[in-house]
Amino acid sequence: MPMRHVDPMASAPLEGGECVARIPGEAGIWVLILGEMSVFGLLFATFLFYRSKAAAQFAASQALLDRNIGMANTLLLLTSSWFVAGAIQALRRDLTTIGRGCLAAAFACGAGFVSLKAIEYSEKFSAGITIAGDDFFMYYFVLTGIHLLHVLIGLGVLAFAAMISVRGVANTGRMRVIEGGAAFWHMVDLLWIVLFPLLYFLR
Amino acid sequence: MSGRSQRLCVWLSLLFVVFFGLGLILPGFLPPTDPSAGAGEVAAMYRTHTQAMRLGFLLLQASSALTALFVAVVSVQLKRIEGAHSPYAYVQMIAGGCGVLVLLIPSTLWIAAAFRPERDPQLILLLNDLAWLLLTPTFACFCIQATAIGLAVLSDTRPDPVFPRWAGYLNLWVAVLSLPAGLIAFFRTGPFAWNGLISFWMVAIIFFAWLITMVVLLLKAIGQQEAGQSTGSPAVTGSA
Repeated sequence: MPMRHVDPMASAPLEGGECVARIPGEAGIWVLILGEMSVFGLLFATFLFYRSKAAAQFAASQALLDRNIGMANTLLLLTSSWFVAGAIQALRRDLTTIGRGCLAAAFACGAGFVSLKAIEYSEKFSAGITIAGDDFFMYYFVLTGIHLLHVLIGLGVLAFAAMISVRGVANTGRMRVIEGGAAFWHMVDLLWIVLFPLLYFLR
Repeated sequence: MSGRSQRLCVWLSLLFVVFFGLGLILPGFLPPTDPSAGAGEVAAMYRTHTQAMRLGFLLLQASSALTALFVAVVSVQLKRIEGAHSPYAYVQMIAGGCGVLVLLIPSTLWIAAAFRPERDPQLILLLNDLAWLLLTPTFACFCIQATAIGLAVLSDTRPDPVFPRWAGYLNLWVAVLSLPAGLIAFFRTGPFAWNGLISFWMVAIIFFAWLITMVVLLLKAIGQQEAGQSTGSPAVTGSA
């Protein structure tokens, strides 16, 4: 109830050029984003706890990961976030074509991430490594799998944002929905930025 | 009138928490049985706590049926958002109705295991496994149920919505979170097993936090509905 008076769908917070301090998207989306980040925080802490009990075994399994694919995926997600930020800037100025183009580019990068992940998984499977392999690979498959699920949801969100990005979206409730979607995508990116060194590089 | 029966349903459904808690504690299921335990160990558990287990499982069955009351009121309120054509309210009710079975069927299998505790330990183990693993569909039913609530809440564009918008996002979050419960099919030890930190404790804690939040929001929404009926349409108050 605390935010009823804000009424995010009806407000038009950015008057031409006027700078108003506010959080991007509707306030409610941050319940989802902060909730997701705390759950991933718990998952990361669990991983670190069990890793500390079998450091040598975790390191041996970690050496089997393909860091090149991991690095390529990191670059893809960072690039996609850059495109999403660009899309928000463009749509706030009603540069609809550029905005939608940026969203499409971000989507393409995200789809690239999914394809590389599929290649990475199938390489592991053909090498006989599965989710039941050992504790390290249990965490590898579960953590990257849950993250991948978020990437797929995020791709849906980006497609939805592009769908509702029509001319004159700036200063409307739709813009706040698009901003909320962008914030979700940045969260998916941020989680990978933590997950990547944790799984692939931590010694 | 309709407000009073809705309140009754919501408060009665809270008995779920009591029966569910007792239903887990009595058989010694809190913490849950170890999924990696051998047949002898599991069979011994059923032999020593037979009566407490039978009673506990009956309470679990009662608790699962009580969730129907909660599910129904949620759909009543979702219908206020959606109007006459209300797909989310029906999806919520169907998925929530399947959710009732998710606990009802395992409890019956646990009762079957405790019914003849002297039988071959391997068979007790099978029944015990089967019952615990029948909890896996939770992730599917509950994900759909919470998603339907979330989408309905976010589709509410009136100035004074039935539920606050953050509740819509909360439900979408809970929907995603229920998915790791499916991982119990893969592991007998560790945080993702059916007694694990993530698959059991985290999912259970978040489920109860969600339930309590939804109960509070439902009571507020019912109050809002009653206020609207008493001021908005004099005909209703006149006849009541």
